Amino acid sequence: MPHYDFARARCVVSFGADFLETWIAPVAYARGFAAMRARRDGSGQFIVVEPRLSLTGANADEWIAIRPGAEAALALGMARVILTEGLGSGERGALMEAVSAWTPEAVQQATDVPADAVRRLARRFAAAKPGLAVAGGIAAQSEQSVAVISAVNLLNAAAGNIGETVRFDRTYDVEGVGSFGDVQRLIADMAAGKVQALVVRDANPAYAVPAWAGFAAAMDKVPFKISLSSVLDETADRCDLILPATHPLESLGDSRGVRGVYGIVQPAMKPLPMFQTRATGDTLIAIAKAAGFGAKLPATWIEYLKAQWKPLHQRFGAGRDFDTFWNETLQKGGVWEDVAATPVRWTGTPAFVTPELKGAGDLALILYPTSQLHDGRGANKPWLQELPDPTTKAVWGSWAEIHPDTAKRLGVAEGDAVRIETEAGAIEVPAYLYGGIRPDAVAVPLGQGHTAYGRSAKGRGVNAATLLPPAQDGASGAVAYLCAKAKVTKAARAIDLAMTQREKNQFDREIAQSVPLASLLAGAAVAAGAGAAATAAAGEAHAGPEPLPSQTRPGHYTSPLAMPPDYKKPAHAVSAYEPELRARGPRNVPVDQGSYAHAQHRWAMAIDLDRCTGCSACVVACSAENNVPSVGPEMVKRGREMLWIRVERFEQAVGGGKSDVRFVPMMCQQCGDAPCETVCPVYATYHNPEGLNAQVYNRCVGTRYCSNNCPYKVRAFNFFDYAAPEKPTFAFPEPLNWQLNPDVTVRSKGVMEKCTFCIQRILEGKGNAKDEARAVRDGEIQSACAQSCPTQAIVFGDLLDPESRVAKLSHGERRYWVLNELNTKPGVTYLKRVERETTTA
Amino acid sequence: MKRALALVICAVTLATASVAFTQSFGVQLFGPKGPRQPINFSHQLHAGKLGMRCVYCHSAAEKSPIANLPAMSTCMGCHKIAKADMPEIVKLTGYFERNEQVPWVEVYVLPSHVKFNHKRHVKAGIQCQDCHGPVQTMPVVYQYPSLKMGWCVSCHRQRLNDAQHPATMDCIACHH
Repeated sequence: MPHYDFARARCVVSFGADFLETWIAPVAYARGFAAMRARRDGSGQFIVVEPRLSLTGANADEWIAIRPGAEAALALGMARVILTEGLGSGERGALMEAVSAWTPEAVQQATDVPADAVRRLARRFAAAKPGLAVAGGIAAQSEQSVAVISAVNLLNAAAGNIGETVRFDRTYDVEGVGSFGDVQRLIADMAAGKVQALVVRDANPAYAVPAWAGFAAAMDKVPFKISLSSVLDETADRCDLILPATHPLESLGDSRGVRGVYGIVQPAMKPLPMFQTRATGDTLIAIAKAAGFGAKLPATWIEYLKAQWKPLHQRFGAGRDFDTFWNETLQKGGVWEDVAATPVRWTGTPAFVTPELKGAGDLALILYPTSQLHDGRGANKPWLQELPDPTTKAVWGSWAEIHPDTAKRLGVAEGDAVRIETEAGAIEVPAYLYGGIRPDAVAVPLGQGHTAYGRSAKGRGVNAATLLPPAQDGASGAVAYLCAKAKVTKAARAIDLAMTQREKNQFDREIAQSVPLASLLAGAAVAAGAGAAATAAAGEAHAGPEPLPSQTRPGHYTSPLAMPPDYKKPAHAVSAYEPELRARGPRNVPVDQGSYAHAQHRWAMAIDLDRCTGCSACVVACSAENNVPSVGPEMVKRGREMLWIRVERFEQAVGGGKSDVRFVPMMCQQCGDAPCETVCPVYATYHNPEGLNAQVYNRCVGTRYCSNNCPYKVRAFNFFDYAAPEKPTFAFPEPLNWQLNPDVTVRSKGVMEKCTFCIQRILEGKGNAKDEARAVRDGEIQSACAQSCPTQAIVFGDLLDPESRVAKLSHGERRYWVLNELNTKPGVTYLKRVERETTTA
Repeated sequence: MKRALALVICAVTLATASVAFTQSFGVQLFGPKGPRQPINFSHQLHAGKLGMRCVYCHSAAEKSPIANLPAMSTCMGCHKIAKADMPEIVKLTGYFERNEQVPWVEVYVLPSHVKFNHKRHVKAGIQCQDCHGPVQTMPVVYQYPSLKMGWCVSCHRQRLNDAQHPATMDCIACHH
C-alpha cells in the first residue's frame, strides 16, 4: 500500500477518503495536509467527492455531492479527460483503453456530476503537478471497492503522480493483516464445529463483524473460548475464561507499520498492580508451556522479543553488543533505514459497474465510522462519548443525518425520531437535518448500541450495522457498508438527542472570519468590508512593536472615554469607562507597582483557523489534563457540559458544490479587561500579573455571575458533586480515578471552573527555567490543547517575548479577536481562515 | 448538692466530648504528639543524634514537588546489618521481604485544592525546619505549623521583594 504525501501535493481530490478522521494514518495526513494548506503560492486546493460531507469534507474548498457508489466513474472520467487532452505527464496508451468508455457525458449519467465539472476538475487536477487523489471511506466500501481504488490509482497514474505524491518507498506493511475472508473462514469452521478452542485478543468481533456474517452464533459453538481482553466487551462476555492483558500503555512490543522502519513499543508505565493483568506474550507462553508444546519457547515475553530482534542487531548493531543495541533502540524508539522505491507498473483495472443498492427503500444508506468511536472501540470511554461529534455536535448517542428537503418530504422535523428499515432490520434514531448530505441518502454513524463493554457503552444509541444485508466486495471480499437502500419514516416515539451546539449558523456575529487567498497574496492587509475585523485591523498597517490589546495591563494603557470638559465624576461612580488604577482582586494592588508592573510574561494563544480541521483532539486532551468530568447525556441536554474547550462549527455555505465550514476552538480567552472579573463578589476570579483570568476554586461560592457575564460562554459550573467518591454523581469511579492528574484540583460541587491555560504546566516550565537560571524558552511550555493538535493550529506562548511564535502570529495580517467589539482584549488571537478560489480551471 | 451534681455531669460530658473530638483527628490526648506509626521510627535518632541529612531519605524534596517517603531499599541499605535484631527493624524487614509498603500515617495533609511545591521552596533556600519545625528533636513527628493559609502567606508577604527569590502572592500559584 503506497505512502501518500499530502505535504507535497498541490491539489488533493478525495474520493470519500476521510483522511482527517479514520483513514489509514489521520494524524500524519492532517500534518501533511496542514503543510500543504500553509503554502501561499496559490496551490493547495482540496476537493472532496462524497455523498455525505464528512469532517474531512468540511475542510474542502469544493464539495462534489456524487451519487453514492459512483465515485469510480468520476475518477475514470477525469483520467480520460487528462489523457485525451494530453495534460498528464504519465504514460498514455494502455491507460486510454481502460477509460475510453467514460466520456464526461457518460460520467454525468452515472454520477450526477455535470460534464463541464468533470472537465474542469480534470484540468485543475492535472495542472497541479503533482496532485493527489485518494479513495477511501464509504466510496471504497461498496461492492465495487477494488474497482474504485484502482480507478483512483489510474487517475493518479494518468496525471503523473505516481512516485511524486503516491510514493512506494515507505509503503505500509499489510502482509500480516487478515482479511474479512479469513474471518468468514473462521466463522464457517466454528459453525461446523471444527474449532475446539478460540483465543481472542485486542478485537471485538462479536460486535464489529456485521450481524449477517453470524460470528456470535458461530462462536457460541466453540467449546472453549479464552479472551485476553482487559475490558468486558461483547466478545469477552461470551468467553469461558478471561485472562486480561496489560493495557497498551503498559505493554512492551514492536511494530513494523512502514517499510524500513522497525519500531519498539515501550511501556509508558508499570502495570497497575490492582488489575492483575499480564502481557499477552507472557500469557501465551505460559499457556503453551502448560499445554506441553512450549518447550522451545523462552521463559518470558521480553526474552522472546529480544530473540526476534537478533537479526536486526546483526544488520543495525554496528559492532555493539546486543544489550547496548537494545537499550539504544529503546531510547530512540526503533531503527530505520533508507529504502528504495518499489517499482510499480499498471497492470489493468477491474471493470467498474455502478453498484446496485439492495432493498425497496428510496434513500441510499450510508454507514460511517466517527473519529471518536471509530468502529465502536471508543464507546466505553466517557471522554470520547462526551466529545461532541465534529459534524453534528451530538454526544452519547446515535442519529440519522437527513437532508432538510428530504425531511420536509417525510414530514420530519429536527429532533423527531425516524424509523430506518432495510431488508436486514430496522432502527429508530433521532433525525439530524444536515445540508451536507445528498437528498437521496441517509447517514447513520457506527459504533454505538453495545450490549456489553462497560457502563459508558452499554445501551447507548443503536448499532447501525444491524441494517446491513449480506454484501461483499467481489474482488477483495471486504464488507460492503454501502450496499442498501433504506426506507425512512417518521417514528411514533420521540428520542431526544443530546447536543452541545444546535445552531450551526453564526449569523452576523463574525465569530469565525475568513479572508480570500487573493487578498493575502496581493499583500493587502485585510479585504475591505470584513465587518468587525475592521476595528481590529486599524492597527494592522504598522503591526509590530505596538502592544496588542491583551498586553495592556488593567488601567495602564486604557484611554479614558472622552468626556465633556465640565464633566464631574460622581463620588460613588463605578464605570467601565474609567481606567482602573488598581488590579481588581483581594489585595487591590496598584497596577504600576509590584508584581503587576514587573510581570515577566503575558501568556497568550494564537489559533490558526486555516489549520484547524475540527478534529477535536484538543477537547479530549484538555479533559485528560485538567480532570474535566463527563456529565452524561441528561446534563448535556440541560446545557451543563463541563468541557473547558469546545470546537464550534459554523456552516457558512454547505451545498451547491460549496463547503465553507469553519471550526473555532473556543476556550477561556483570558481577557485583558475580563467581564467575569468585575462581577465576582468574592474575588474568586481575578486578574493575575501574567494576564490570566485566574479562578480560585476554594474562594468560589458559586454565584455564577461570572458565567452569566462571560460573552464567550466558556465557564462551567459544577452542579453536582463530580469529585466525591461517595456520591452517585462521582465522575471518576474506579478505575477512572487512576486517570486523574495530581497537579490539578478535582473541583467540588458549587464551584465554577474554566480553562486555566494549563497553569500547572506554566508553573512547571517557569520552575524548570528558574532551576537552570535562564529565561523560559519559547515552545517549552505548551498547553495540552496545543500539544495535541495534529496540525499545530493552536500555538501557546509569551507575548512579551517578541521572538516567540505566538507573538509573531498574533501580529500577523490574518489576526482578529472574537467579539472584539466588546473590548474584552482577549489573550487568544485567531487567524482568519483562508478562502481559496473554487472556480478557476 | 444539685449544683455539684450538675457540675460533675458538665465536667464529664466536656471531658468525653473533648477526648472524642481530638481522637477523631487521630491525635492522642496522652502520650507523644503526632499519629502512631506502624514502625516506631525516630527522627530524633536519625536526624538528630546520627545527624543524617533530611534529603538522604527524602531525596525528591530538592527536585520534585513532592518530598517522597524513602524507598524501603533506602532503609535496608543500613538496616540489613545495623540493629537488624531489634523488634522494630524486624517489622521493617518483614515488610521488605513480603514486598509490602509500610503503611505510614500521613502527618502533613494538605486539602486537594492546595498545591505545594517542595522543590521551589528548597531551592529558594528555605530550610526544612522552617516549616516542619525541629524534626531532629521529635521522637514522633507531629504537625508543627497550623498549615493554614495565613501561615503560608505571612512568610510570602515578608519575602515579596526578596532580591533573589521573590515570593509570589498570586492565588493560582497554589490554588489551581
